[in-house]
Amino acid sequence: MTSHDYGAAGRLTAALESRLVSGLGGDAGVTRRAVLGAVGVAGGAGLAGVGGGTEAQYAGGDHEEEDHGTHGNFGAVGEYADRNFDPHAYLRQFNTGRDGQSTVEQRVYEEDGRTVREFDLVAVDTTIAIAPGVEFEAWAYNGQVPGPTLRAVEGDLVRVNFLNAGRHAHTIHPHLRNLNPAMDGVPTNGPGVLDQGESFTYEWIAQPAGVHFYHCHSLPLKEHIHRGLYGALIVDPDPERVRENPRAYTASEGPMTDEFREELVARARSRNHEYDDGDADELVMVMNGFDTNFDGDNEVYAVNTRAFAYGVGDTDGKGDWAAGETKRPIQVDGQRPVRVYLVNAIEFDPINSFHTHSQFFDYYDHGTTLTPTHRTVDTVMQCQAQRGIIELDYSDHEPGLYMFHAHQSEFAELGWMSFFEVV
Amino acid sequence: MADATPETTATDRPLGLPRWAAALLPLVLLGVLAAAFVVTAPLAALDTGGGALPDVTVSHATLPGEGTLVLHVTNNGPDAVTVSQVLVDDAYWDFQVRGAGGDATLAPGQSAQVAVPYHWNPGWDLETALVLADGTTIGHTVVAPATSPGLTAGLLWTLAVVGVFVGVIPVALGMLWFPFIQSMRRSSLNAVLAFSAGVLAFLAVDAGVEALELAESVPGYYEGPILVVVGVVGSLLLVQSVSAWRRGRAAAGDERATGGLWVAWLVAVGIGLHNLAEGLAIGSSFALGRVSLGAFLVLGFMLHNVTEGPAVIAPLADGERPRLRQFVGLGLVAGAPVIVGGWIGALAFTPTLGALFLAVGVGAILQVVWELRGMIATDAGVSAGAILAFLGGLAVMYATDLFVAL
Repeated sequence: MTSHDYGAAGRLTAALESRLVSGLGGDAGVTRRAVLGAVGVAGGAGLAGVGGGTEAQYAGGDHEEEDHGTHGNFGAVGEYADRNFDPHAYLRQFNTGRDGQSTVEQRVYEEDGRTVREFDLVAVDTTIAIAPGVEFEAWAYNGQVPGPTLRAVEGDLVRVNFLNAGRHAHTIHPHLRNLNPAMDGVPTNGPGVLDQGESFTYEWIAQPAGVHFYHCHSLPLKEHIHRGLYGALIVDPDPERVRENPRAYTASEGPMTDEFREELVARARSRNHEYDDGDADELVMVMNGFDTNFDGDNEVYAVNTRAFAYGVGDTDGKGDWAAGETKRPIQVDGQRPVRVYLVNAIEFDPINSFHTHSQFFDYYDHGTTLTPTHRTVDTVMQCQAQRGIIELDYSDHEPGLYMFHAHQSEFAELGWMSFFEVV
Repeated sequence: MADATPETTATDRPLGLPRWAAALLPLVLLGVLAAAFVVTAPLAALDTGGGALPDVTVSHATLPGEGTLVLHVTNNGPDAVTVSQVLVDDAYWDFQVRGAGGDATLAPGQSAQVAVPYHWNPGWDLETALVLADGTTIGHTVVAPATSPGLTAGLLWTLAVVGVFVGVIPVALGMLWFPFIQSMRRSSLNAVLAFSAGVLAFLAVDAGVEALELAESVPGYYEGPILVVVGVVGSLLLVQSVSAWRRGRAAAGDERATGGLWVAWLVAVGIGLHNLAEGLAIGSSFALGRVSLGAFLVLGFMLHNVTEGPAVIAPLADGERPRLRQFVGLGLVAGAPVIVGGWIGALAFTPTLGALFLAVGVGAILQVVWELRGMIATDAGVSAGAILAFLGGLAVMYATDLFVAL
């Protein structure tokens, strides 16, 4: 997994793990997952022994209960078995037309003096894992939820060849400043909804710069979105446009000095994937949720679909933890700035939020400005379809785990609970 | 049938087969048909790929300690289900599934326990839910959590003492009315018997209502209401068959099979079954931390059960006084099951077992009421006095029952 030293906790876990693994030796039937699970149990048992917890008694049973002697631990039990989607890979997957995911056909070329970024998207019916052992019947662009992250530069033409291979009628509606109503991806305009087997090529001008959202706009809207038809659409600012019209990119009303103009241009360059000045670790986080029992309320909340995927594999609740195979913190280099493209795709709940522990950040609502709209905050909220850019600096933080989660406690405990591991 | 007719030969060899072969023929054909069905799958067209919906019941929860919560789960459906995650108060929580063969998958009809390490608060309700593999949630509310005492020698002793006070002593005290009852005139005796029948009828109604209430929490797989009906009818027929056997013996001239002693034993068995269920209720309430067995409750039970004593011995009144050990035996059979019921209730309570015990008690009692009617009724039917005495039995039991709200 990772060669990083987690300190005493890591050594304890590693020792337990290796003892168990060697103890189980050549038993081919024992999976790593089972062993890790056993490590957790062994850890809990060890703890109960140390704490001298009372022997719990069972009515009518012969159970040897290991009462954790503590409050127990929240979190999903077990690891994810379905490896079709990797939320850790998804964080840093950008499809620019030039390169991106192998599952997204894409190309980039010039047309009438404009850069065209072309992508093939297919809506399919599929099943996704949303918590360990819990499957959800999703509708998904290219089979993944969230859909592929599309990235362009301000002023480019985004051309999407959309095929609907699902059983229901779908569209793609972009949250962009779109000048042609036929391209809006709603039932009343252009081709309207596309039935099974139908296709259409959407063309959108990538504007304004920012972090945006695309989703299906078929009715019933709640269901088409919550089933998984959405994704992030990032438009990088063009430094030349910023130089020409800097005022459009600031949240402040102060005087526009040459110095400030150059600073804005530099920020645009750092956000633009075509320039090399961007040294930030860029992460896409789509906050979403799933109603598995049709009660109009989400049973699972997450960033990027999988409950607790950026949590820890195991913890004794006493400060020791171990990374799991599929449930593990997001490792970030403390010496690089972290930029989060945050999108709220939640349904059923009016708002969602993002809260960092031991950290304050600058927030750029919708990402449409190059100066922050919120300075030095540790919590932002977003209504449905709202998005923004979060810039984090861990350069003076000690290495270790830093939690971040929705500060609706209910969402956090239902899966929207994550960690950065600063290394 | 015994008459020799021309068809005799044919019925000796039906369809020209030996009799045993003729008896097996339909079964063999059924087997062949079933095999053909499996092999050729003639109903494949009806298979739309749909499956039955998961049907899972959390029958009850136990709380062995302040740090643990145990949900008792049964899979009622025809397909296996997997408990993938567990929610406590809208939060995913650690859990272990016990009794499902090492994994979290329950076969059809299988029961298991989901143990959750959770530091619950006494009196603060817990909303729990099992999340199955397809996202289905099975909710269960633990109302006003309180620690379940669990199995200890102390608890067994306490329940035994309670059983003696609630079951054995009142019945024994009630039986001390025997000399008085024996001195009664026939019409008065009939009234006492009718009063006993009223007592028993009340117990039957009481237990029947309770059985049906409990049947609601019986996992669907066991068909709670049907289980209750079968339990009632089954035990009624069982006791009736014993009674019929007794009459057969009496008709054949067996001295011991005549007289009131038989009826007394039947009454004792019926009341014993009822008291078993009563003990079950006491034990399970205790096990679920739902009751404090205060002095008032025990006194209420004593008052309630003292009327069961004369019900047992009334059928003996017009015969000779039986030997002392008969009395002791009758008293123990009628009263001691409270102790046994208490233990079962505390150690292995399930709504299914509870409903079944209650139903069996109802059936036995109903048969005994019928038996008593036979003793009271004359050619002119049941006298007005006896009917009023029956009503009196019902009324007294209702009144004393008010003291024992568990």
